[in-house]
Amino acid sequence: MKVESSHKTSNYTITCRMNHEAAALERLCQVVRIRGFRIAKMAVETADGALDIALTIQGTRPVAMLQSQLEKLHTVAEVKLAAPVVAAATRIA
Amino acid sequence: MNGAQHILDAFHRHNIQTVFGYPGGCIMPLYDALVDDVRVEHVLCRHEQGCALAADGYARASGRLGVCIATSGPGATNLITGVANAHRDSIPMLVITGQVPSALIGTDAFQETDVLGMTLGIVKHSYLIESAAELPEILEEAMDLAQNGRPGPVWIDIPKDLLLDDVTATPMTTQAQPNATCPDLESAIALLRAARKPLLYSGGGISLAHAEESFRAFAECSAMPAVVTLKGIGNSGKNSAHNLGMLGMHGSRAANRAVDECDLLLVIGARLDDRATGKLDGFAPNARTIHIDADAAEFNKLRSAEVALRGDLNTILGELTHSLRETPLAINDWRKQCQAWRTTGGFQAADNEEPLAPITGPAFISQLSRTTPEDTIIACDVGQHQMWVAQHYQFDHPRHHLTSGGLGTMGFGLPAAIGAQFANRDSTVINVTGDGSFMMNAQELATVRRYNLPVKLIIMDNQCLGMVRQQQELFYNNRESQINLDDNPDFVAMARAFDIPALKIDRTDQVRRGIETILAYSGPMLLHVAIAREENVWPIVKPGGSNKEMIDETRRTAADKKEMTA
Repeated sequence: MKVESSHKTSNYTITCRMNHEAAALERLCQVVRIRGFRIAKMAVETADGALDIALTIQGTRPVAMLQSQLEKLHTVAEVKLAAPVVAAATRIA
Repeated sequence: MNGAQHILDAFHRHNIQTVFGYPGGCIMPLYDALVDDVRVEHVLCRHEQGCALAADGYARASGRLGVCIATSGPGATNLITGVANAHRDSIPMLVITGQVPSALIGTDAFQETDVLGMTLGIVKHSYLIESAAELPEILEEAMDLAQNGRPGPVWIDIPKDLLLDDVTATPMTTQAQPNATCPDLESAIALLRAARKPLLYSGGGISLAHAEESFRAFAECSAMPAVVTLKGIGNSGKNSAHNLGMLGMHGSRAANRAVDECDLLLVIGARLDDRATGKLDGFAPNARTIHIDADAAEFNKLRSAEVALRGDLNTILGELTHSLRETPLAINDWRKQCQAWRTTGGFQAADNEEPLAPITGPAFISQLSRTTPEDTIIACDVGQHQMWVAQHYQFDHPRHHLTSGGLGTMGFGLPAAIGAQFANRDSTVINVTGDGSFMMNAQELATVRRYNLPVKLIIMDNQCLGMVRQQQELFYNNRESQINLDDNPDFVAMARAFDIPALKIDRTDQVRRGIETILAYSGPMLLHVAIAREENVWPIVKPGGSNKEMIDETRRTAADKKEMTA
């Protein structure tokens, strides 16, 4: 079975906690971009040496793929995906 | 002890004996420390890309951490292709670069580049050291990170002043990796038992996980028909009765047919790369999938898996083997079918009986395979020769086949062979290259000569960029564009200029003697093999096409004739 995405753009909200290190935000944004999403909104707070980041992103690809790529980042402690604003466009063929 | 001395001390403690590097302004403190440290062998390559690719080859051939070192600015940017190469193929690598002094960062100082920023997409992780105090912990973490889980390159950028600052070295301990758990092992076994046409599909993850023995035990016990990716070549050993060879764009008909017909794909240590799967819509259309990998991000990325098992491959394969030993799979009809396909659709290189005939790529590689010793390591470059090696050389171990799989880096082969020779001093190491690839890192002949490495170089010279020419011929109406290399230098004279003996052959009756001559020579030697410009790699799947639509020479010729008569 092939994982497919429709061409319909969906919005998702992701919250992420990561170490407050050099280039932390760039690292996060680079992964979001290369995995096929655009950042529509971003809020960052610092707490206890960590960054708490809330992202609203848009894209046509399965957001679970992005989540797993973000979770792979060494300095990312946690990634949470909120329910999509528009019904998820992903389907398993 | 300053930061530079601490780095060398850490190398020693981690049994890192060989590093590949090139000095320059901001990394000079580390090179100054090297003067007094005889525990680490520093290999001076002639270009930073050569350093990174040599470290890559060292890691691939040995299974150990490859280390490369360069200065800031152009030193760091020259490393990038080699580090990207390691990243795409999950090679454990530690990259250390000097950076301009802390106070000068962001001032556009001489040889300053934003290394951390420009390398984010090609590393497993990266660090900019901001104080000498954090260097010891980061160094330990980086070495651990590069080698564990799914391996990859980790880059540490260190401002020059911090290499000179005092470092208080405290013993570090790395956190033990949690034991792999296999919550869905029973589901996987149930799927295996239910399948009538299961197919084992393995990739480079087997050797990355040091799971070669576990894999062979499982493959033998299950007796499942098997296909391999480019990086999985050698997983099954050359005597496996069930191995159908490489699948994909230049895969065997047998392998692609089996994938098309199977009802279960057991994917182990592979990421379902597009060169292997072809058009996903037509890939294994009747199969359910079990996917086993160290990296959970590979699951469901390109193909949905009914069962996904993340963890240590040795553990998982051991469990699966144990289960199948108790009750073997009942798939005899499927095995016989695949054997029949292997007989008619495997890779076969026709030996030319005419002694004065031109040398053909497949026949040459087949002869090389028959002539070389058992422990030979072949480091390929990228192009037609790479595919002929993949198709026609019989590898008994995946670490004997060094190839740039993910990035497809022309120029990989020579520095990778250098690294492999340092990792395996007594093994025969051969760089099989093309005339295009060879010229990408030909400066490393000087490294071969400097260290008197007995690396053998074989240039398969068709006086063009053969793979590009082939695709232009087949898929761009034969409109050749910028592929002509008929003004290549005299490769024999070029090698001799580096004090490396060389000879040229261009006829079938010279092949065996040529190979035996370079193998018999105790030092480095180059064999220049002239082959026909028009030779293609067969079969081929059109990029983006389905693996079911393989084109072979016969079909191409028939199509040409039809077109000509239309």
